[in-house]
Formats: sequence, structure tokens, C-alpha cells
Amino acid sequence: MSTSTSPVIETHGLAKTYKGVQALKPLDLQVQPNSICGFLGPNGAGKTTTIKLLLGLARPSGGAGKVFGLDIVKENDQIRRRVGYLSQDPRYYEYMTARQTLRFTASFFYEGPRAAIEQRVAETLDLVGLADKADRPVKGFSGGEKQRLGIAQAQVNYPDLLILDEPAASLDPQGRHDVLDVMERLRKHTTIFYSTHILDDVQRVSDTVIILNRGELVTQGPIEDVLAWGQTVSFTLTVKGDSMGVEARLRSQPWVTGLEEMSRNGRVSWRIQVSDREQAENELVSLALAGGGVTICEFGCRTQNLEDVFLNIVKESNHEYK
Amino acid sequence: MSTSEALLVPRRERGWRMGLASMLGKELAAWWRTRRGWVQCLMALLVLNGSLALNLNSNKGSTNAVENATTALIITVGLWVPLVAVSLGQDSILGEKHSGTAAWVLSKPLRRPAYVLSKLIADGLGMFVAWAALPGVGVYFQLVGPADGYFTPLRIAGVMGVHYLNLLFFLTLALMLATFFNSRGPVLGISLALAWAGPMPFISDPIQKYASWLYEILPWRLLIDFRSNQALAMYLANGRPLPTVTPIIATALWCVLFTAVAIWRMSREEF
Repeated sequence: MSTSTSPVIETHGLAKTYKGVQALKPLDLQVQPNSICGFLGPNGAGKTTTIKLLLGLARPSGGAGKVFGLDIVKENDQIRRRVGYLSQDPRYYEYMTARQTLRFTASFFYEGPRAAIEQRVAETLDLVGLADKADRPVKGFSGGEKQRLGIAQAQVNYPDLLILDEPAASLDPQGRHDVLDVMERLRKHTTIFYSTHILDDVQRVSDTVIILNRGELVTQGPIEDVLAWGQTVSFTLTVKGDSMGVEARLRSQPWVTGLEEMSRNGRVSWRIQVSDREQAENELVSLALAGGGVTICEFGCRTQNLEDVFLNIVKESNHEYK
Repeated sequence: MSTSEALLVPRRERGWRMGLASMLGKELAAWWRTRRGWVQCLMALLVLNGSLALNLNSNKGSTNAVENATTALIITVGLWVPLVAVSLGQDSILGEKHSGTAAWVLSKPLRRPAYVLSKLIADGLGMFVAWAALPGVGVYFQLVGPADGYFTPLRIAGVMGVHYLNLLFFLTLALMLATFFNSRGPVLGISLALAWAGPMPFISDPIQKYASWLYEILPWRLLIDFRSNQALAMYLANGRPLPTVTPIIATALWCVLFTAVAIWRMSREEF
């Protein structure tokens, strides 16, 4: 287990070009020990490319990277001894059972004793809830079961760093919940660097977040800092009746900075961004009711979540790109 | 640290051997703990010993019965058995590249030379048992009576030896090509062109005319020589001294070269 406080992952200008297409622009990132770092970005942002570069499955076109202070190109063998990896689309030898797969994986790290290896394999199967399917061939496993097996094989060697590429992608809600629980349990033993599209999960378990877009780093930092990014106060208001009048009154207020309308089942909802929270809290309801002929169905203050931040950051980054 | 972690003894392999023991263990298990090994043994017995038995039976009574049957066997071995080596060799690497298991195992402490060598050793050993040793023993017992002890174990071993060297040539060739290409077509096409160019008269004529030296450095003369009946296997079968050992040495060197190139290419592969 790593006890150092120097970054577990550190890259400087790490870049990758495939056949003239820049998949990853010079990237500087840092992942601190014993953290859970969510690695986010739209499809094709360069997340998997970065992971493959760190693991030596692809060679960088430029820049440098270190894992545990070891060079990702020259010292990759030593890195892979201390890493557990789950790929985006995990594939195993289909004729093997789950137990054989884990035994085979463990054999790359340990030469014995056999009983201790078997015990570790059993522990790992238990951890991911596959103990009852341990002796079935992988061929018959569902997508979710393969994903659990993937997590099991990734941490059979007590890795100092767990790299998970979309660990919850093919899981049902219960499966996702279980995976997050496993990650929480492993937090004290290891650093977890994982890519995902499921932003709720990131917000639930991550300490830090790295956002990539079009092969470029957009932001990185503690999740609180990222959530505070461009923070604006917004309210939601749903009414039934004369919505046109309400909208006109809202738009006339100088402290209303943005208005997004959504109509559903004869009701009209707005997401109202404001510059003065207190004033909004005091006046929004009375303003809506001022003209009469309106019933308020819902009203509340809306907290910005990671999905809002992510979408705003990516939108802004795309805008700059254009 | 948990109790089991404290008891576990880490592997200390370094350099090109890193991961070889694990990968080789898995490859050997895939041969002999699944149906693959037994299916190959059965196929070899059917194709080689079965065809020999049929030939011996159909030529029964003829003065050249044994000679005809052994010639037919050597032609079968030279023309068709390389197909098995090519198929196994390409599947070993291409199959894993396509399925994604290659990327998975290479994310573990496994060096790429060890990955290629584990395939070569396991397939080489499997083919030796299934396609050379086992049918060789069968051939000896099939011929000992009809040939009245003419084919000694040493002669049979000599023929099966050059046959195995020929197989190894096509196995290493297919492994090497599988590291260069991502589809089976070119691997199969190039390997089969090389397997059949030498023995097939319509292709071998221009080769004999313009580049006859190719027969010295490629495995073509090991088993079949339709033009001048100078195949080395026939010399070995009849206990006669070999006119040349150049094709044997050259084929062995090709095997080493193909393996080296496969390792070099695999080391540059990106997943």
C-alpha cells in the first residue's frame, strides 16, 4: 500500500496522436494517494486513451507520465505489478470459470502458497458477490456479472492503484450501488482512478474530479471546487393558469438573469437563474401570483449538481473550441 | 494488510520472462485441460494414420503397397498439415487481439516477449504431441508388419522430425503474420501460398527456372519434391544419407527469425 504523499499519477504534456488525429492533447494531471478520482468527459474525450497510456497499452506521442513516480514508458513493468485495471469492455477467456480467471490473474502477481492464493480468490469473489457463481464458465455470465468479475480481477493483487474504465456501465441500479460500495470499502487501501458517464456516482464517491473534452483537460480539482464552478443560484417555479403573464413579470425583474421554460401536462415550469438570492426568495412567489388567475404548483431553490457543472463546462469548452 | 496478503509470495520474474510462467501455464491448460488437445490428437490420428490405413488396404497385394502408402502419407503431411499449424498460430494471437483478451493479459505483469513465447511453446508442444509423436508411433506400428521391419523407429522419427520442423515453420510464420495483420485473410493467404508454392508444379516451374535456390532455403524440399523426387523425408524413410542439410538448417533459422520478428512487432503493438 502506498504511504507517500506525492501524486500517484502525474502527467506533463502527455499526448497521443493516432494516424494524424490528436486523440489526447498535452495533458497535465495529478491524482493524489488514497483518493477516488472521477475521470469525466464525453465519448471520444480521450479518457480511455489516457488510461491505456498509463498502463503501457499504448505509447505516448509526446510528453511524459509517472505512476508511483515511475516512468510510464520505461518502467511500466513495475507499474503494472502495483495496478489493478478494469477495461471498458472487459473480456476474459470464456472457457475459464470465474475462479479460474481470478486464479490465473493472481498467478501474475503471486507464486504461492497455493492455499493463500485460493483464500485471496475466495475473498475477492465474495467481495463482488460472485461466490455462488465461482465455478461457472465465464461464457454464460451476464454483462453485469462480467463487470463484477472485472472488478474482482482488478483488485485480486491488492493494488496500490485501481484504474477502472466505466466500471458501472453495464450494471443495473443495484449493481451500480454495489460497485460504489466496493469502491468506498477499497478507498482506505488504494487510490481509485475511474472514468464514468454516470455523474451521480461521481458526486457520491469521488474526492476529486478531472474533466476532459476533445482530448483536452478542461478542469481538475476537489469535487467541492468543481461543484462551485460558475455557481449561480437558481429556482424552479411551476404554475397552472396564466403563465404568459407570470413570464412577463419575471422577465421584467433586473435580478432575474436567466429563464428556461418547460411545459408539461398543462403546467408551465421555469428554471429561474437569479443574481440576488434573498430578493428572489422574498419576491418570486408574490410576483407570480400578482396578476391573478395562476396557481403555484411547485416552488423551490435548486442546487447545482455535477451534471449541471459538467454540461456547462463542456458547453463552454466546445464554444471556445469553435 | 490482511492475513492472506501477508502470506502471499510475490513473483520476482524480471525482464523478458516476466509473466511467462503464468501465461505458459494457461496456454498449456488450454491445450490439455480443454478439448483442444484431444481433438487435435483425434484429427491427427484420423488424417494421418487413417489415410495410411486406407492406402495400405487399397494397395493390398501390390508389390509397391508400402511405398505408395508412405509416399501418399508424406504428401498429405506436406500439403495439408501446415494448414493446421497456420490455423492454430493465427488463432493464438489474432483471436486474442480481436476478443480483447490480449489487451487484458498485457495490462498485467506480462512482458510481450513472454506472451509470444508462451503461445509458441504451448502450440509447438501441442502440435508435437498431437501431429508428430502420437501419429509417428501409430505409423511405426502400422508399417512394421507390412514393411517387414524396413521402417525402423529411427527412420520414422527422422521423417516425423522433418515434418515437425515444417510445421514449426508454418506455426512461427502464422504467429509472426498475426502480429502484423488484424484480419485472417492475409495471414492465411501468405502462409498457404508459401506452403503450396514449392510443391505445386504449375507454380514451382517458374521458381525452379528463375530462383531454384529458394528450394535450398525454404522448407519445400523437406517433404515433397514432385519434380526430382529428392525430398529429404524420402531419404530419411529409406535410411539413405541426406544429399544436403541446408533446407533443414535454413528452416530452423527461419523459425528463429519469425519468432524474433513476432516478438519485435508485438512489442510495438498498441491496444
